[in-house]
Amino acid sequence: MEDSLDMMINLAREKGASYAEARYQNDEYESNLLKNGQPEVSTFETRKGISFRVVYDGALGFGSTNQMSRSRLKSLVLKTVATAKSSSRLRKSPLGMGQAEMGQSVVEITPRVPFFSISLESRIELLKEADSAAVRMAEKCSALLAGRYVSLDTLTTERMVINSDGGRVHSRIPRVAVDVMLTAYQDQRGTAQRIFSIGESAGWESVERWDLPTRLESEVKALCSVLSKAEKMDAGTYDVILGQEVVGIVSHESAGHPGEADRILGREGAQAGETYLGQSDLGRQVGSEVVNVVDDPTIPKSFGFYLHDEEGVKARRRYLIKEGKVNEFLQNRETAYFMGTQSNAASRSVAFNREPIVRMANTFVEPKDHSFEELKEDIQQGVYIKNFMEWNIDDRRFNQRYVGLEAYKIENGELKGLVKNPILEITTPALWSAVDAVGNDLQFSAAYCGKGDPMQGIPVWTGGPHMRLRNVRLGGSA
Amino acid sequence: MKPQEVCQRAIKLCKEEGATDVVVSVNDSNETMIRFSNNQITISDLLNELACNIFVKVQGRSAGTNLMDLNQSTLKAGVKKVVKMAKTSPPGEIWARLPQGPFSYNPQLLNGSKVPSDAKKLVDWVQGAIDGGTGEGAERMAGSLIAHNSTVTLMTSGDAFGVSQGGSLEMSIRAFGKDQASGHSVSIASREGDFKPEEAGIEAGRLAKMAAAPAMGGAGEFDAILGPMVFSDLMNQVGRVASAFYIDSGMSFLKDKLDLKVAAENFSLIDDPTLVDTYGSAPFDAEGLPTERTKIVENGLLRSYLHNSTTAQKFKTKSTANAGLIAPHPFNLVVEPGKESLDSLMSRIDNGIYVTNSWYLRYQNYGTGDFSTIPRDAMFLIKNGKIAGSIKELRISENMIRVLQSIQGVTQERKWIKWWEVDTPTLSPSALVSKVRFTRSSQ
Repeated sequence: MEDSLDMMINLAREKGASYAEARYQNDEYESNLLKNGQPEVSTFETRKGISFRVVYDGALGFGSTNQMSRSRLKSLVLKTVATAKSSSRLRKSPLGMGQAEMGQSVVEITPRVPFFSISLESRIELLKEADSAAVRMAEKCSALLAGRYVSLDTLTTERMVINSDGGRVHSRIPRVAVDVMLTAYQDQRGTAQRIFSIGESAGWESVERWDLPTRLESEVKALCSVLSKAEKMDAGTYDVILGQEVVGIVSHESAGHPGEADRILGREGAQAGETYLGQSDLGRQVGSEVVNVVDDPTIPKSFGFYLHDEEGVKARRRYLIKEGKVNEFLQNRETAYFMGTQSNAASRSVAFNREPIVRMANTFVEPKDHSFEELKEDIQQGVYIKNFMEWNIDDRRFNQRYVGLEAYKIENGELKGLVKNPILEITTPALWSAVDAVGNDLQFSAAYCGKGDPMQGIPVWTGGPHMRLRNVRLGGSA
Repeated sequence: MKPQEVCQRAIKLCKEEGATDVVVSVNDSNETMIRFSNNQITISDLLNELACNIFVKVQGRSAGTNLMDLNQSTLKAGVKKVVKMAKTSPPGEIWARLPQGPFSYNPQLLNGSKVPSDAKKLVDWVQGAIDGGTGEGAERMAGSLIAHNSTVTLMTSGDAFGVSQGGSLEMSIRAFGKDQASGHSVSIASREGDFKPEEAGIEAGRLAKMAAAPAMGGAGEFDAILGPMVFSDLMNQVGRVASAFYIDSGMSFLKDKLDLKVAAENFSLIDDPTLVDTYGSAPFDAEGLPTERTKIVENGLLRSYLHNSTTAQKFKTKSTANAGLIAPHPFNLVVEPGKESLDSLMSRIDNGIYVTNSWYLRYQNYGTGDFSTIPRDAMFLIKNGKIAGSIKELRISENMIRVLQSIQGVTQERKWIKWWEVDTPTLSPSALVSKVRFTRSSQ
């Protein structure tokens, strides 16, 4: 394979490309789905092919194919170069590849328990066991689990990236994820829903550690409490503690996305949008001094794990917000070139046939020293929003809304009864500026971040510790 | 091997391994995408793919795979693995046999037009669209142009066989002016003659110009006109959750509402893959059934869910030919036209809002239909029946059934919409909806 990729790069250079990059990617999926306790179709798939990028006369071309004979690959190179050449006439500012620390290594994560060692029967049996535990817990809570959807996906990605600037990296990374959707129903109270995901870059040992039946039991117990006990709350100004899951989505949506350099440059303008931040906003105060938001692909077992990005650049931790100030943008080599800086290895692609673009990996608020008890002890009137269902944010990443699911009143430092769907609808700087204390209990959730055209849903972790906001307006329940 | 031979071989091998029902499809597709931003091309993408999808049942046990390497040995290994997977899977709730053919398909749906994909032509279209927008005064244009050609060969153990070929063109373009003013438009077509990229550029530019210097919008309940890009997004939600799969899994606000009033009487929504020369037309569904025109909502009444053979058996009805091997899905949504013009709808509003685009729709509860979505691009205040200024930074925080039941009228003029936010092609009017709840950030 390496020979084929080298051949493609050499051919493109011979044809006049100033930069060439070839990537072989093989994704092996297996997916199992249980709906209302019944197995749906189980599937497996091998998505294998080669992508190729060139810069020709300041224009960028991308091509991909799953037909990997040498003649097909040569044809792909020639077509990609020709298309880039055609589009160069609509390129007023020539594009290039910025400086970066190129990798030349092999990264292989070896699962302790390989996926192939777990039979289909065992996988479905585990899902059924978890589903049954959930149903039993709902019955105990006098509720009905009217809708259950539990999926289990394993994925092993092998990549080889070679480019004309000396990058040569090879990786093999396993990933496993469980996605759950639960609908609880009670007469008189209607329905409540909970959706959550767990995912890691590891083998089956992660699934064993997750203990799905116990996790689903506790999720259903909490959901049934929300359904049967949550009371309407009045809109007003409160001190608010955000739970780890909420801090995670806030980190991702309101610090990660705004700091993506391709948005700043307008490259995603027609699809995922732009950002309220501009190139000159490095150093701008957007939050209180206790806020540090980090994106780090190098965390072992993390769902967004990698050590080299799809441009072969060595990965590292990035401080997006440091002491409340915008500290660093997420860069690939294309955006780094335009901004006159270095890539920080944010280039990712979800499959062989997708262009690598600027993406997050694992985005989270860096923990500090408060325990949960300390965060709530001096709140007189407040709300603790543990997790959420509805959320969205505008395409400048400035106005967002997070609607709590499991949420509690706080009175005189104590958690009181459940409140129904508190709504935090707030601007990005107002949210980060309201933070006065950050907890010490970092926790992550798995997610698939959507961006790009064609859409690329890429594995990420979102996370953080508990975090306290002072004097923020919460909209009341509908 | 040719696609038909791949299908025949795969079905034979699957049966030999013990499969009771088999669907094999081979998709040979070529796509060229030109993405642009800041009035220049960002990247040109060439995406070529040849893949074989195999779905098998061993009585009530089912499994599927997608193979991207179609040589004899890979095919044989893939077949062995998928049938074994089905055999070892616990039985599902239902075993519905595949529809029994042979079937005849509409030749016009089978033989769609191929669309141009040469780089020069596509770059010319992009240039025309950018020039169209900047000619209206836009400072920056961004978007994507996609030319797609494919041939799908489908064969089932139920004697269905068809070869469908055709192409599609899609331009999604956004114009940016000063101070957060922007406009968005699309043009989609299944043949070159219907494709109007320059007009899309002009419309986006014109909207951006009209939206200049937007003021902060105020929260409250307003009568609202939802333009085709907004209304088609809502229609995609209705079409998606009309799938019996989502009804069954608690993910639909249409559950238990068959033959009940879910919308205003002036509203009808149809899934119509049989419309020749439209973007979402299709001769057959994923089980080989000839596609049908299905009324989802007729004059406000929920008439049908969307089914494949498995969900149909569970719901004790017949398939609507909307398979999806796992989840049934709409192909090509059509909202029935009204009798009014946009001006006429607007003239009925004393104090309201006109929203031209939206995105990021998320649910608080799929079962109840509580959701919010964010208007983006041009949005206007309406005062005394006329546009009275550009506004920004509002959110629609609503319930899907309430919105559908509050439709006061839809325009006669409709537009085909499909873009990043709207997956299923939708022929959508503008709609007047009463008392739409708009919210905004409090700090």
